[in-house]
Parts: sequence; C-alpha cells; structure tokens
Amino acid sequence: MEKEPRPEKKHASLSGANKKENRQLNLMTLPTVIWYALFCYLPLFGIFFAFKNFTPVPGDSLVENLFVNSEWVGLQNFSYLFRNPQSVSVITNTLIYNAVFLVTGIVIPVTLAILLSEVHQKKFQGFVQMSLVLPYFISWVIVGYCVYGFLSTDTGLFNSVIKYFGGDPVQWYQSPQYWRTILIVLGIWKSTGYTLIIYLCSITTIDRTLYESAALDGAGFFQRVRYITLPHLRPTIATLFILGIGSLLNSDFGLFYQVPMDSGALTEVTQTLDVYVYKSLMVNANFSYSAAAAFLQSFVGCILLVISNMVIRRLDRDSALL
Amino acid sequence: MDNNVNTAAPVKEIKDSTGYIRPQDSSYGKAANAAAIVFFSVLTVAAFLPVLLVIMSSFASEQSIAEHGYRFIPHEFSIDAYKYLFRSGSTLPRAFLNSVIVTLTGTVLGLAVMCPCAYALSRKEFRHHRALMIFLLIPMLFSGGLVSTYMVNTQILHLKNTYWALILPGMCSTWYLMIMRNYFRTSVPDSLIEASKLEGATPLQTLWTIVLPICRPVVMTVAVFQIFAYWNSWYPALIYIDSNHNELYPLQYVLVNIDRTIQAITRDAAHISGMTVSDLPGTAMRMAMVVVTILPIILLFPFFQRFLRTGMTIGAVKE
Repeated sequence: MEKEPRPEKKHASLSGANKKENRQLNLMTLPTVIWYALFCYLPLFGIFFAFKNFTPVPGDSLVENLFVNSEWVGLQNFSYLFRNPQSVSVITNTLIYNAVFLVTGIVIPVTLAILLSEVHQKKFQGFVQMSLVLPYFISWVIVGYCVYGFLSTDTGLFNSVIKYFGGDPVQWYQSPQYWRTILIVLGIWKSTGYTLIIYLCSITTIDRTLYESAALDGAGFFQRVRYITLPHLRPTIATLFILGIGSLLNSDFGLFYQVPMDSGALTEVTQTLDVYVYKSLMVNANFSYSAAAAFLQSFVGCILLVISNMVIRRLDRDSALL
Repeated sequence: MDNNVNTAAPVKEIKDSTGYIRPQDSSYGKAANAAAIVFFSVLTVAAFLPVLLVIMSSFASEQSIAEHGYRFIPHEFSIDAYKYLFRSGSTLPRAFLNSVIVTLTGTVLGLAVMCPCAYALSRKEFRHHRALMIFLLIPMLFSGGLVSTYMVNTQILHLKNTYWALILPGMCSTWYLMIMRNYFRTSVPDSLIEASKLEGATPLQTLWTIVLPICRPVVMTVAVFQIFAYWNSWYPALIYIDSNHNELYPLQYVLVNIDRTIQAITRDAAHISGMTVSDLPGTAMRMAMVVVTILPIILLFPFFQRFLRTGMTIGAVKE
C-alpha cells in the first residue's frame, strides 16, 4: 500500500521502561493478530484441498480428513477444471466482465469527476457526489429487487411500456442475450459514485492557479484537462488499475448470483468464478473441484497484481503501488 | 506526486511573467455551467430511479400492480402491504432485530479489536512495526478461497448456525487498520502522548484518554463503513446459516429467501385474519420488505455522509 519509512536502528539496549511499553504495545495488537491468524491464515492451509481428492470420513476431524483420508492427486483437479467446457465459459465470463469494468471504471468516473469539478456551485457538487454514491451502500439483494421492478415478466415496468407501445412482453429472466448489458450497466451504476469521489478529491488538490494561468495563456478546456488534470490523476488511476488487474478473476457474487435471481436460463452469461465456486461447494458438494477454482482465483490474482505493479513501476515509478 | 511538477512547470513560468491571477473559480462559461448542472441533475435522478420504483410500488394496491404492473406513480395507493408485514408473524421483526444485533456487535467489537492495534502501529517506538505490517498485508494479496474458509469456519471454529458466523468473518480489515493508523500518526501531536506517558499512563490509557477523543472522525468513519457493511451483508448467512435455523436470518437474507418468507407470512396472516392467501398483497409486500430493509440506510445516509466522505477521500490520498 505504501512505503514504510525504515525504522530507526535497533536500540542495542532498550531501557526498562521502553521494554515494558513495547510489551504493552505488543499486547494491544494481540486481538487483531489472533483474528488474522484464525480468519486469514488458517484458511491458507486449505490450499491443500486443491491438490487432494477430498474424501471426508464422517466423524473424523478436518485435519485428519484432509491429510490422512484424502489422497494427493497433484494437478488433476486443475486439469479437470480446464477440460470442463462449463468452467472454461465461467472463466471467460469473469474475464470479460472484469475487462469491461476495468475500462469503464476508469473512463466514466474520471470523465464525470472532471466535468463535476468544473461546476461553480459547490453545494450542488456535494449533493451530486452523495446522490451518486448512494447505490454503493445498497446491497445487491436490494438492487436485485429494484431490477425485478423493471424486469418482472408480468408486472415489470419495462414490459408495461413495451405492451403500451404494442410490443410483445419479454421474458427477461429467461433471455440471456440482454444480461451482459444489464449486469454491466448495474455494475457501473453501483460503483461509479465511489470512484468519482476518489478522483474528484484528487482533482481538488490541484493548484487552481495552474488552470487560471493556462486559461490566460489561451489553453482551451480540453488542453487543460489533457495537460493538467489527467497527469495529476495518473497515480490514482494507476492504483485503481493495479487493484483491478489483481482481482481480474474475482467478481461481485451478489451482482452475478442475486441480481439474475439465480435463474438457470441465464447461467451461460451470468455465471462467474465466484458463483461457480459457491455452487460447486454448496450445491454439488464438490470440494476439491471448487477449491481448485478458488485457488486459481487467488493465485492468478496475486501474480497479476505483482506483474501489473512491476510494469507500472517501469513506466512511472511514482504510480506503482508497492 | 512529483510527476505533476514536470508538466506543470512551463505553465507556471508563463503565469509568473504575466504577473497576475484572474479571480476565477472555474473554467466553465455560464452556458457550459448550466449545461453541466442539467446533466448532473439528470444523472442524479437516474441513479435514484430504481430505488424510487421500489418505494412507490410498495405503496400500490395489489390489484393495481396486477393490472398495471410496478409503476412510478401507482394507479391506486394502499398501505396494505405494510399492514400485513407488521401484523403477521414474527419473521420480519425477528430478522430486523438480528440485523441490528449483528450490526452493532460487529461494529463495536471490530473497533475494540482494531483501535489498539492501529495505535500500536502508529507509534514509532513499537518495535515489531514492520513485521506486523507484512503480516497484515499478506491477506490482501492472497486468500485461502471460499472452500477452505468455509471448512475452517465450520469444522474448526464451529461457527455454523451461530450469530458469530455473521459477525466474526467481516470484523477486521487491513484497510481500516491502515486509515486509522495514518490518522493517529498525523493528527495526534507526539508531545501529548509523551506527556501522558510521563504521568504514568499505559498505552491503552493513552489511547482511550488522549488519542481516541482527538481521532473521533476516523473512528466514526470506520464505524459508519462497518455499520453499512454489516447491515448489507447476506453472504455469510447464505453459506453459514441453514434453513432450519431461520431464526438467525438477518433482514437481507430474508429478502434473498423472499418467496419462502412471503409464504410463511401469508400463512400466518391467513391464520390470524381468516383471509385466503390470494387476497394478500404478495407482490406489493415484496417491495415493502425491500423498503423496510433499505429505510435505515436512506435515513442514516445524510447524517453519515460526512464520515463516508472522510473514509473515501482518505483512500484517495496516496502516500
């Protein structure tokens, strides 16, 4: 996240008071450390699931089941994953949606932030920011029902309008061809406000006199954006881009599971890795398989993050994340 | 941040030679400003529309929904949906209570765990600073994935079908720890802490009496983010709470299971009032339940937005 200043040289001899204080500080971090150990580090050992054929014996403990009762299968789970046409389509879906969100997640908020920053009325500016960010704080479950209000076959607003103009009602939840667009629009609707505020905040730190002197010098609006605003936003854009690349195989479970109401007819376009992992675990109880998919997600994400960070660091040292 | 200087330099020179700055707040002309205001007004309304449709539909009578569908202005207004929702059964009040319990416990517990740690991290004399930072950052890069998390939480920590399954997994976050640490470090003068130490206060006492009162904005920010996160959470309920433990369902998860819930409510209602199931406002009730769930957020949002902005903008400033 940030560059830590190197701590001062180790004190060769800590005084008694310092020692005591350090012990107390250590103690203060203990609850957090325990939480991380239990909820972040303990599950890391579950990586073994991905390389085992998990065959639990009822009554045995998890550790016994994982290490004694289940045999090593090497990369077999992964090769199944890549030979299964369904999981390949799931990975493709995930990549498509994330690629789109990566681009729209930069272009739309940056454009809106630049436009909004030029509005004179500061109160209006604040109002717009807060209104646009509200969707971010609404859960996907609720969004799902909002969408249902528009798309329900019998009572939805869209079909009422279509019928009013004499068209045939559409069975939205059975028509996969519309859902890529629907999900992308919703993803943008929910996240734009938040990123907009981040960019806008960065824009407000720009020295206004730069713009004034540029205007004086005859620079038009687009030139000012091109030569002042965008270069200033570069580090923020790079940060969000790197984070986006790092989660290229992750997806918002709520958007892809709850918003399409888990409709079977839509799975070919709505199912992403997170939904797939959830379903293979909870519905089909296929532990090793879904563990392999989950491992892939985490592993690839980590590698992509490091690589994209490396590339950005090459291009522009200050914009890199780590 | 240095990279801005290069592009800015030539412009700056010209300004110096001209010697004055025009008192101008923005680079838009009047017409452009008006156009921008119209544009953003439309955008704001568009962002609200989906929520508005749900709210308006919840006030429609069942018959008008059946005939005219969900509309922004219901053909016929009615509050029957709400009446049945609150009159019938304990499903909804119970779920509301669960959501409140989980939200409050999770937020308070999370802060109680994270604040001391963030304070230790903010102190220069804390010796394990670097090691702890790495320990906290690794999970941001690499996680065990759903399967092993699920197995650990259910088989080792035995969280299945307990409130703790809804509270514990989302309690801490490296992100919150970082913003609190940075805030503690920059806004509390070292001299205050040294003075407190000289008076013999332990670090925990210093945190409580000196640091937290000064740093209330950042603590509130984390609290508000956590409140919204817990209130909106339904995924833990989906995977950790079985259907035979539905007394633990939070509000959001009741909505996920809405059809089953509406069946239960209509059964209860039919029992109480002797009505047949088809008379009950099922489609409007659906929307009324959504409104009940979203209402606390919409009501609290204006009060919380100050803190939300702090949280979001802290994230924007890269060190």
